[in-house]
Formats: sequence, structure tokens, C-alpha cells
Amino acid sequence: MALGMMLAVMGGMLVCVQNTFNAKVKEQVGAWATTTLVLALGFLASLLVGLISEGMGLFAVTGMETWYWFSGIIGVGVVMSVTQGVQQLGPSHAISIVMVSQILFALLWDTLGWFGLEAIPFTWKTALGIVLIVGGVLLFQLSGKKETVHQKEKQAV
Amino acid sequence: MRGVLFAISGGFFLTLQSVANARISSSIGTWQAATLTQLTGFLVALVIMLLVRDRSYVHMRRVEPLYLSGGAFAAFILFSNMTAVHELGVTLTISLFLIAQLALALVIDWRGWFGMLRRDLNRTQLLGVIMMIVGILVLKG
Repeated sequence: MALGMMLAVMGGMLVCVQNTFNAKVKEQVGAWATTTLVLALGFLASLLVGLISEGMGLFAVTGMETWYWFSGIIGVGVVMSVTQGVQQLGPSHAISIVMVSQILFALLWDTLGWFGLEAIPFTWKTALGIVLIVGGVLLFQLSGKKETVHQKEKQAV
Repeated sequence: MRGVLFAISGGFFLTLQSVANARISSSIGTWQAATLTQLTGFLVALVIMLLVRDRSYVHMRRVEPLYLSGGAFAAFILFSNMTAVHELGVTLTISLFLIAQLALALVIDWRGWFGMLRRDLNRTQLLGVIMMIVGILVLKG
């Protein structure tokens, strides 16, 4: 449990660094060229770490199912939807909705135990926890924007 | 309205991705799953890039090399995501990922790391992060 939580926190921090870096790339390069680069490096890094930790055993794959080949398309769905959402609603509103939707779908998934996951019963504690987390996300996302603009104005002066 | 639907499906796909990756990793192994999903994702993105004639990759040389390396973090991100989903379930994993992500974003803005415009610590945003942490404690308690 503790290991899982530590890994999730470290993973989330890396997502943040990755998003910051990718945003810098997107200032010069289009969304699809950026996505292609990001996934190419993700592939190379996973391949390298996989080879280091498992050697040629990395390629001795058993238990493969056909749909595994198509799982990468989900990532493309992410880029398409998020890019469109941000274009139409602006980053703070779009990303708030993305994050809240992420949490609510996760809750649905855990509660129903789809995809061979262990079902986690929905209790009043779950409800309260989710309300606090969603509230925190909205507070964070929707209070950031104004201040940025304000700061930029100050900088310009 | 269409924007809202796009944003909702973005969240749906992100969660689906965590669940699918965790599922694949438990049958073929973590690094196999990471390598496979990144490879297939890369190939599809490459085809789309060529189809929409996005030739902007020529401008990559204008980007500082460090920032081009962001994608490589995916190896650890996928590993931690898959392991956490197995141990904690999807809701707790995604909530922790989001909290860590937002908390670090706040610090990056505040300290002005990675060439970001430095700004005062946003107290409302800090309160948002604290609320999320309390939410996790309630969820777990």
C-alpha cells in the first residue's frame, strides 16, 4: 500500500515535469509532431529499461491478446479530445473538466470492478473523499488563471 | 458544449488508459506492456502526423534539447501507474497522481523553475491541494 502510494506520487510529479517540457515543445511544434516525439521517446525508454531489467526475456511474451495491439490508440484519443477541449474552452476550464471526468470514471470503474479489477464498494466515505478531491481540483484550476494574467500585466509595467 | 464533451472524453480515455495498461501488464509483464503501448501509440500518432501534413517537426531544433526529452519519463510514469493501480485501485491512483501533479505545478510556478514566469505562491491553489489531500485521507481512512 505504502509503496503504491509513493510510486503514484512520484509518477504524478513526473507527469507534471513531462507536461511542462511538452508545453515548451508545443510552443514551436504542432500537437501531432509533439505527440509523435513524446511517444517515440516513451517507447525507446521503456524498451531500454525493459532490456536492462529482463534482457531478451522482454520479447518472450506469453498471454498476448489481440486487443493489446490496439491499446496505444487510447493515447491518441487522449490527445485528440484534450487538444479539442482546450481549443474550445481554454486550458483552465478544459483541464478542470478532464481531471474531474478522470476521477469520476475511475470511481465508476472501481465500484463496478470492470476489466478484471477488484470491485471496491462505494461508501459514504468514498463519496465525501471524492467531493473533497473534486472540489480541490476545481479550486486549483479555476483560481490560477486570473492571477497569471494579473502577474503578466505587472511584469509588463 | 462540444468542448465540454471533448474534455469529458479526454478524462475517460485517460482513465481507460490506466486501467487497460494495468490489465495488459498483469498478463504480459510491466515493461512488455509499457513498450508495446508506447510503440503502437507512436505508430498511430506518426500516421496521423503524416496524414494531417504536420511538418512542424522541422522546428524542433528551436527547442532546448532538455525539453525535447519529456517523453522518456513515460517509462517510469507507466511503471508507477500500473503498479499503483494493482495495489490501490484506479480512484486512489488517479487522485494521487493528480495531487502530486498539481502540487508540483504550484511549486514550479512559485519558484520559476524550467524558465517559467515566477509568481507569488497562489494561496487559493495551495488550499485546493490541501483539500485534495484531506479527500485522500477520508477516502483511505
